[in-house]
Amino acid sequence: MIGAMGFAGFIMIFYAALMEGLLHTTEQNATVMESGQFQVHAPEYRDDPDLYTMITQEVEVLNRLQANGYQAAPRLFGVGLAAAHASSVGIMLRGIDPDRERLVTEIHRHLLAGKWLNGDDPEGVVVGRRLAKALGLVVGDELVVVSQAGDGSMANELYRVRGVLKSINESIDRSGVFFLDEVFRKLMVLPDGVHEIAIRSPDDTYSLADHTQQIQNLVPDLEVKNWRELQPVVARVIDMSRYSLLLMLVITYSAVGILTLNGMLMGVFERIHEFGVVKALGVPPWQIFSLIAIESFLQVVFASIIALAAGIPLSLYFETHPLDLTGLASSSASIAGIALDPLWYCRVSVKAVVDPIVVLMVVAMLSIIYPATKAALLKPLAAIHHR
Amino acid sequence: MNLKLNHVAFLLFLMVVLSLTWASMSFATTTDDEVRARLILDLIDDLWRADSSESTVTMRVVTANYRRTVTMQNWTLGKNYSLVRIVSPQKEKGTATLKSGNVIYTYLPKTDRTIRLTSGMMMGSWMGSHFTNDDLVKESRMADDYIPRLGFEGDREGRSILEFILEPKPEAPVVWGRVVITVLAESYLPLVSLYYDEDLSLVRTVTFSDFVEMGGRTLPARLRVVPTEEPDEYTELIYEDIRFGVLVPESFFSLQQLRRQ
Amino acid sequence: MGFMRIVFIAWRNLLRNRRRTLITAFSVAFGVLLSVTFTASGDYTYTNMINSSATMGFGHVTIAAKGYNDTPTLTRRLVAAEELRRQVLSNHEVENAYVRIAGQAMFAAGVKSIGGQVIGVHPLQERPEHNLFIRSIIQGILPADSESTGALIGAKMAEKLNLRLGKKLIYTLTDRKGDLVSGMSRVSGIFQTGEDMVDSSVVLLPINRLRRLLGYDAGDASLISVLIWDQRGADLVRQKLIGSLQQTGYEILTWAETQADLAGLIAIDRAGNYLMQFLVGLLIAAGILNTLLMSVMERTREFGMMMALGMSPVQVVIMVMVESLMIGLLGLFLGAVITTPWYIYMAGTGIDFSSQIGQDYSTSGVLVDPVMKFRLFKESVIGILAGVFILTLLAGIFPAIKAGRVPPLASIRGI
Repeated sequence: MIGAMGFAGFIMIFYAALMEGLLHTTEQNATVMESGQFQVHAPEYRDDPDLYTMITQEVEVLNRLQANGYQAAPRLFGVGLAAAHASSVGIMLRGIDPDRERLVTEIHRHLLAGKWLNGDDPEGVVVGRRLAKALGLVVGDELVVVSQAGDGSMANELYRVRGVLKSINESIDRSGVFFLDEVFRKLMVLPDGVHEIAIRSPDDTYSLADHTQQIQNLVPDLEVKNWRELQPVVARVIDMSRYSLLLMLVITYSAVGILTLNGMLMGVFERIHEFGVVKALGVPPWQIFSLIAIESFLQVVFASIIALAAGIPLSLYFETHPLDLTGLASSSASIAGIALDPLWYCRVSVKAVVDPIVVLMVVAMLSIIYPATKAALLKPLAAIHHR
Repeated sequence: MNLKLNHVAFLLFLMVVLSLTWASMSFATTTDDEVRARLILDLIDDLWRADSSESTVTMRVVTANYRRTVTMQNWTLGKNYSLVRIVSPQKEKGTATLKSGNVIYTYLPKTDRTIRLTSGMMMGSWMGSHFTNDDLVKESRMADDYIPRLGFEGDREGRSILEFILEPKPEAPVVWGRVVITVLAESYLPLVSLYYDEDLSLVRTVTFSDFVEMGGRTLPARLRVVPTEEPDEYTELIYEDIRFGVLVPESFFSLQQLRRQ
Repeated sequence: MGFMRIVFIAWRNLLRNRRRTLITAFSVAFGVLLSVTFTASGDYTYTNMINSSATMGFGHVTIAAKGYNDTPTLTRRLVAAEELRRQVLSNHEVENAYVRIAGQAMFAAGVKSIGGQVIGVHPLQERPEHNLFIRSIIQGILPADSESTGALIGAKMAEKLNLRLGKKLIYTLTDRKGDLVSGMSRVSGIFQTGEDMVDSSVVLLPINRLRRLLGYDAGDASLISVLIWDQRGADLVRQKLIGSLQQTGYEILTWAETQADLAGLIAIDRAGNYLMQFLVGLLIAAGILNTLLMSVMERTREFGMMMALGMSPVQVVIMVMVESLMIGLLGLFLGAVITTPWYIYMAGTGIDFSSQIGQDYSTSGVLVDPVMKFRLFKESVIGILAGVFILTLLAGIFPAIKAGRVPPLASIRGI
């Protein structure tokens, strides 16, 4: 009995950790992959992404954000053309500071091949997956980038593919070319200013809206948007999956609850004969009830210990050693703008551990009320003959 | 994208809008008014007709964000071929564009690459100017795409002028809703072209000035384009020098020649 | 002792402790409910996603010019596509097939321009249920026929290019030889799927006009989008088409290849789903094992007696296994009883999440379905049945062997 309950608790903990992991990964992929949790732009930039609509005094803005506990990464954008192997494709040039970008997004970890940008390699660029495919590019290949520079001149330069990204989002996959920011500035003749500042808050205690307001107060002249405002469809998809996962979790919990109830019912009824004898010996009903309650409680405690002892280490293991579903998805995929991670991590949160144990205890204690009451109130003889 | 394109052919187009193709137009289904307009435009075309040319042009671009001056050398042969090569500034020197029929290539000396114009670059700026690549490509189709009529004939601001109104044919793939060209009545030299969108609001104005003797003809040496939305911006093309009837073989307009300094 | 006799005894044994049997069977029943919930929501969602992505242009099965899937350019032509379509339609699995031209284009109006994708269609053949864009029309209509000057454009593009119904749209693309060509259409309709990326880039044009512009012959296209009655048959239909079509120079792909991202998502989600069901299955199996073991332990005496009376250990093992199976069957029956109303409700009405998620679903509901519904495929039902059968068998093995090992004499002495 203890074993079965322990097993149930163990599975619930593992399940909850997997669910938390899935939700967390999805949400993280929506923000940490590319967009960041918040973005700051010059007010008209998002409506009309013009090369000259920039955030000025970016050093001062970045410092101010950082002094208030926000990680901030500057970004530069431009449109152009990439040519390689006798074909050419329209691209989105993206100039970033890899040291700062690392603190805000995790795009540097999502490479299909090669390496991420590095200050030591100014000619190295990182390209999107589909772009690489369209131009037939592999790591080490040369790539000509052509664009109209900030001074109206014809920007063109030869680069080398340093890395190819996994699926990030439609735009990056098809047209993203990442440069070091100083390389971008030199190519595009843009000595200062940035187009976007992506922000991550290491502090989870405030709501998204609170943080948005706080950042807005820090940069009153700029437009501040959080990821939900930036990617409403993604936010909706995540909400949707959150609700359906929650529903699944509730169903699973209740299934496990019913199994536990079955076990407890069975456990008490098996021994009702025994309780009849005890009762015949003169033990009052409330004592029998308490006896059963205490016994069951101890059982649940033991079961919980087993569940925790097995569930936590297993979940923790999968927190660092994800389930690898790469084999199932032939390529890295993205859907509705969320990059899909074929690696499935567990996430051991307080909720994922406490909830299953609480459910286990509550269900177990509720489920003995009926049989324990019956045992306590039964006439001794009837109990002895009870089947 | 700012790709360097058929320069002279383009310039000629901007100055007179119409070129050789007017002559070959069928008049069978046209109205009297249109016949007359086409005839006059043919005369203008004759004035500008040249089998081949070689010229030096300086382009000045002023926008809210930059000012730039580029000097270019151009060669043209008939309607189908043209080659333009940047002489200065030093940074862009040697950058060259070849237009051969419908196909346009750009050579970039810095990276030693030749790029073919794709549909994605069509609406991009030409050389950082106020023209798009589409303007250049569509230039040679002007006669096919528009129906001209004489809108006004008489004195205006003390000069005797002709005003032509060009309406796009119902199915013509052109972005303009109307083009209005004003020329001097006696010499057919262009004065101004106005470009309207589909709602017939003015989008840009091209003015011609500095009428000088060049290459044995009287031509406006200066052309200025002003976008209506940004009245403080402009692109100016100034002819330094032009020679007609120069001997350039067809092989001159090849990819090999494009790369030669 | 005959098998039927053993079955009868097993049944009697279960009846002896009805409550316990019922409780265990209920846990199986709950497992069935859970399994149906997981599987049916998956079956519904995946089918829904596959079908709606199939209506975005490529169909369940795509016949395209060779190499088109990797580099979809207009220079890759599917020759005599119309004839090919007629051959495809003769397959009874095929609901309909659409000949389409699809490629990159630059769209312009006035001084504004935007890059995007052009899809050439036969307006008279197209049907809303197989074409997301037609289904999402918010203003105007699809161009009247395959020659007309109309164009159906996305709402976001209309906004960016400042276009209204009746206005001119200029498009530039590369023709069959790779040369630049331009065409003009007038906006006849505007669609809105709710996905900005789609709404700002896709334009539907009459196919014959596009053919003339691109220099294609009358029957040529980029691809044939084949829609089949049942999305699960995509691979089968692909094989059939490969076998039956005579021409060469094209490739036949399924949605899993043309929409590799979606296929990846579904594969990953399905794997997660199976994992969850497996865990729950384990739990239920442990419950059955627990019950059977308890009942076997109680009956040690009885087994000794039976074997002393001539029942072989194998027969005892079979008997316990039959008990286990009966619990499973009873569980299935109870499962069917409790699952059916739930399934009927979920298959018909479903749970609408739209109120929790946001109000603007009416317009953007095409791509993200806010309603959780059920649908169960035959193979899923068989899978669930087989799962329950195997689990109960597995759960029965250990207690059965334990029962069979009871030494006859020793246990009698234990009375």
